[in-house]
Amino acid sequence: MERIECQWCQGHSPAGSASCEICGAPLDVRDTVSDSGWRETPRLRDMTEFRFSNSTCQVEGELVPVAELTLGQGDAVYFEHHAMLWKDTQTPITAVNAGGGVKRMLGGMPLMLGKAKGVGRVAFSRDQPGELVVLPLHPGMEVDAREHAFLVASHTVAYSFERIKGLANLLHGGNGMYLDRFVTAGAPGLLILHGYGNVFERMLKPGETILVEPGGFLYKDASVQMNAVKVPIRMQRDPYLAEMVGPGRVGIQSMYVHHSSE
Amino acid sequence: MATYTCQYCRLSSDPTGVSCPNCGAPVDVRAIVSRTGWVQQPPITDLARIQFGQSRLQIEGTQVPVADFDLTADDWIFFSHHVLLWADASAQLAAMDVPSGWSSSNAGMSTMMWRASGPGRVALADNEAGEVIALPLQPAQRTWVREGRFLAANSAVGYDWHDNQIFFETQSPDEPDQQEKHYPLGRYGDIFGAGQVPGLLLLHAPGNTFIRDLAQNETILLQPSALLYRDLTVHVRLFLEYPTTNDFRWRHKHEQRNVWMQARGPGRVAVQSIFTKPESADRIVDYSYGTTIQRW
Repeated sequence: MERIECQWCQGHSPAGSASCEICGAPLDVRDTVSDSGWRETPRLRDMTEFRFSNSTCQVEGELVPVAELTLGQGDAVYFEHHAMLWKDTQTPITAVNAGGGVKRMLGGMPLMLGKAKGVGRVAFSRDQPGELVVLPLHPGMEVDAREHAFLVASHTVAYSFERIKGLANLLHGGNGMYLDRFVTAGAPGLLILHGYGNVFERMLKPGETILVEPGGFLYKDASVQMNAVKVPIRMQRDPYLAEMVGPGRVGIQSMYVHHSSE
Repeated sequence: MATYTCQYCRLSSDPTGVSCPNCGAPVDVRAIVSRTGWVQQPPITDLARIQFGQSRLQIEGTQVPVADFDLTADDWIFFSHHVLLWADASAQLAAMDVPSGWSSSNAGMSTMMWRASGPGRVALADNEAGEVIALPLQPAQRTWVREGRFLAANSAVGYDWHDNQIFFETQSPDEPDQQEKHYPLGRYGDIFGAGQVPGLLLLHAPGNTFIRDLAQNETILLQPSALLYRDLTVHVRLFLEYPTTNDFRWRHKHEQRNVWMQARGPGRVAVQSIFTKPESADRIVDYSYGTTIQRW
């Protein structure tokens, strides 16, 4: 059967599909890439549906989109508890320890994560206008996301956290002290983030660098190094920006909280 | 070559393009005008390009749009530090050299302004859902802008601040010896103007933006915190409106009042659809010169 490749996740869907079966990206529109090389995250159409494992996800709304999951037998997802919008009464929920103990608490990150198991329905959303970033993860992938950006992930994605290295990062990086790290081992998985405002992605070549406001950083491949660099602009206290060094993907959000005011 | 006048930036433009090269407004859409005469400022089309000086910028995104500048070697822009999203390593970032007479610490502008010089790219975004408004300024053209709405301007644009001199004072019944002063339009406004050559001013407006060209002596009442920018030919003053009520409790009459900004033409006013809630409902005991009081 003839297949069409998704430009966002490289998954294959039947020819003639309006949206990717794996990530929901529209297949009948051109990629939007700026002159400077940033690619806009595909805007998922209202009511777009896609599959993962034995489950489906339907995206509803466009201003503050909702990810509504219908979980199949044997599937589960985990999430930060305050991102849950509604659930069926009979959908089982458990709380799991995220690990990290006091370190995570000091970093402002949740100690416990919610876990919903199939069969059942549960929906998630955040609290500000933005976009869902659907990242199907192939086995062996590692993605880092800013804290509190993650909306939901499938149970085949291992969750940990990464301490941002370097004293300057700790003091000035603006992303707290930790990044969420999502890793797939033997099986593929699904990770959904919520980016505030609009979300853009850029693929950095090996050694290519770009300076990003730390509050605008959303996610990156684990292969991308993130360092805090002082910008010498002749002020009493020079500001810091996040220097991202390739290779790998970097995602940014256009609405952010400046780290000085956080 | 055929030309047309863009109704949003009021400059001659190329009708064959997709968007106005001066302000980014779409060329191929009909104006959306409400029955009451407000023209909806069309959002700048995703990935539209705007030319200024030797440089250009591209608007990216639709919810919280990003202004992505591609600066040539001789061009520079200035902006408030908190709107920087990303920058090429080649772009030169520096603290803004404050022009003589610049009293930004007294005005609504950020006291921490940055300057980005080319060659290189730098991208800016505010942190509220809304629209980027591009205002090309012709030589000697000046415009008033609500404090906090400035996103960026190029080197041809000068800045000054203006004491709005519009206020009212309230008195709380719980503390009759205390009066509180309120500035519904902000205490200061920003004045931007081009000098000898045209310049480009970018604003970020929360929500949607609507514009209206007032005729000579035409007036309209606006929510003070919704006023985004206006031509300097438009005069504004405070307008206090007390509706009739069947509640005879004296205090409740104050809670029903409306605090308006009356704009009088000629000239253009622009409003944003997101505005802040009115301030105190306490009794107004004093107000700025020229205030009109309407009791129904």
